Amino acid sequence: MVDFLQALVSGTAVGSSYALMGMAMVIIYKTSEVPNFAQGEMALVSAFVAMMMLSQFQLPVWAAFAVAFTVAGLLGCFLEFALLRRAKQPNTLGMIVITIGIEMVLLGLVSWKFGAEQKTMPFPIDPYDSIVIGEVFMGKLELLTLATALFFMSALYLFFRFSRLGLAMKAVQQNPEAAKIVGIPPNGILMAAWAISAVVGASAGLMLSPVLMTPFMMWDPMLKGFAAAVMGGMTSLPGAVAAAYLLGIIENLFGTYVSIEFKSVVAFAVIVLVLCIKPSGLFARHHIKKV
Amino acid sequence: MRQTYGPLLPWLMVFILCMPVFHARADTGISDTEIHIGQWGPQTGPAAAWGTVARATGDYFDWINANGGIHGRRIIYHMFDDGYNPAKTKAGVKELQEGTGIFAWVSGVGTSPGLAVKDYLMERKIPWVGPSAGSLHWVKPPQKYLFGVYPLYYNEAKALVRYAVTTLGLSKVAVAYLNDEYGKNGLRGAQEELAAHGLKAVATVSMEKGDTDLKPHVMKLRRSKADMVLLWTTVSHAVRMVGTAKAMKFTPQFMSTSTCSDFPLMTHISKGLWEGVICATFSELPDSDDPMIQKYKAEVFDAYAAKSERWGIFYLAGIVFAEPLVRAMEAAGPDLTRETLVKQLEAMKAFKGVGPEVNFAPFDPQDIYSRQGTRQTFLIQCLKDGKSKKLTPWMTME
Repeated sequence: MVDFLQALVSGTAVGSSYALMGMAMVIIYKTSEVPNFAQGEMALVSAFVAMMMLSQFQLPVWAAFAVAFTVAGLLGCFLEFALLRRAKQPNTLGMIVITIGIEMVLLGLVSWKFGAEQKTMPFPIDPYDSIVIGEVFMGKLELLTLATALFFMSALYLFFRFSRLGLAMKAVQQNPEAAKIVGIPPNGILMAAWAISAVVGASAGLMLSPVLMTPFMMWDPMLKGFAAAVMGGMTSLPGAVAAAYLLGIIENLFGTYVSIEFKSVVAFAVIVLVLCIKPSGLFARHHIKKV
Repeated sequence: MRQTYGPLLPWLMVFILCMPVFHARADTGISDTEIHIGQWGPQTGPAAAWGTVARATGDYFDWINANGGIHGRRIIYHMFDDGYNPAKTKAGVKELQEGTGIFAWVSGVGTSPGLAVKDYLMERKIPWVGPSAGSLHWVKPPQKYLFGVYPLYYNEAKALVRYAVTTLGLSKVAVAYLNDEYGKNGLRGAQEELAAHGLKAVATVSMEKGDTDLKPHVMKLRRSKADMVLLWTTVSHAVRMVGTAKAMKFTPQFMSTSTCSDFPLMTHISKGLWEGVICATFSELPDSDDPMIQKYKAEVFDAYAAKSERWGIFYLAGIVFAEPLVRAMEAAGPDLTRETLVKQLEAMKAFKGVGPEVNFAPFDPQDIYSRQGTRQTFLIQCLKDGKSKKLTPWMTME
């Protein structure tokens, strides 16, 4: 029983970072229908900026994180404005290739500037401190990540439900032409989506950095976040979040009771299964166009 | 009209006289003034922290050249970044070998990248000295042109388990290993040594390169009630294992391979949790007062290393694995060929640089130690602030 509870708690803990990455990918996909493969490296840049602020400029954590989130937002705006918007008559495949190109450039920049040796970010919470309830453990940093994920979930829900910008984003996703007619500037909306997505993704990077930092640190969370987004239906924020936690828990239960060797790939096997049964994902609503 | 060949005769004489010289220079990658040596190493990618090894070899060769080279020949060093990707390793080695022409290869980080080019080099009888990995694959079976200098992971694991069982009295040994040849070499050594003491591993857990959530692994180890956990993983995995164990209040004695023996780095990235961990290692310690270490620090590192380079065990590795090659090339004298190089390596007895003692023997397909130069390793323990405590002298594993 202890093992089962521990696997649930551990799965929830690891699912939080998947959820943050999944939400970040969904925000961009919702507005531009592009799976952004640079999401992990955008978060990587923010994480290394925070590390630089903390270790070289000796800023307090809140200030370093504020700088990192600002950089994330600006980077998102810049990438959308300078690269994505410049693509002439792009199809989805072309846009995907552009995001892969951005991913490689950002990865190279971080490797060049910060080196490849493993690092760790100074942080007030020891990433290896935990709280114990009975015999079940949860890291304090993981609790913070869970709280961060809950915060962004709530904030994004409120944003898309009630704010003008959020509603405008939904309008652009559903019908760009109609949105343009009623005075919504699609380019501005896309830029805002990239900025918000970058900030959400950056929070995942920042929560992972107190453990270990390498230029490749965001690869696994990005893949798992993407997997969660696909499983959730790509356009559904609650879907991506639910799928992320589901993936984390399935991984941990599988690792505990079935096979540690195949723990890391079971998530992808589950996705294949889900997509075979429900190709649009678990939580996506079908849009059927009449012709 | 009658043809006369008289004018060609002097040229024919010159050609015949020069034949031995041409013969002596028949090997590619060597001339009267240059010796071309190649190495790959990850300068980018997930294993880039080990890129120091290849860069340090370059600094070492610069120092050799500044001190007169090898019998007047300069070492021309060709290093390329393979990103720890075997496909890139193979492409890069072929390109350099068939384009530039390499006399011999030295070091080269990683078991998988090395395996990708082993057959290519051996089929062409190109010497390769000191692969930067302690894999049994290099010498099982022995290859005439491949000379191992790195202590076998298998032997390192045996030494650590022996120390745990006989000196520390720890008998519940568990092994956490990377699910590749590197990890399996360590697992095999540990299991054989445990069997020699009439014991079995209480748990074994494998992990994949991409795994970052290691809680199920640590849970399994905790359930086994292991009092010693042997970590045969990457640096990142090792740190995560120790950290997750701390979070789960699981506190066995951790031991690990030489690849995790860069204590200043391990202490820093584990936020001090590496303190107390025992590792095998392959070189005199960077902060030791060994005269050769001091000399390399002053004359190689201080003079040639880039500002961003760090004096540590990985830097020394780049020298340790190249020392036997340099010694054999010197011993071969001015008539250096691949065959004379191999002969000199085979004749190498009790060679001591800053690494373990190196002994080779004439090629014997039945004897792995005709090509595995060392059976030695020694154990160190990480102290506070990343300092090292030497626990044993060089141990020779039978």
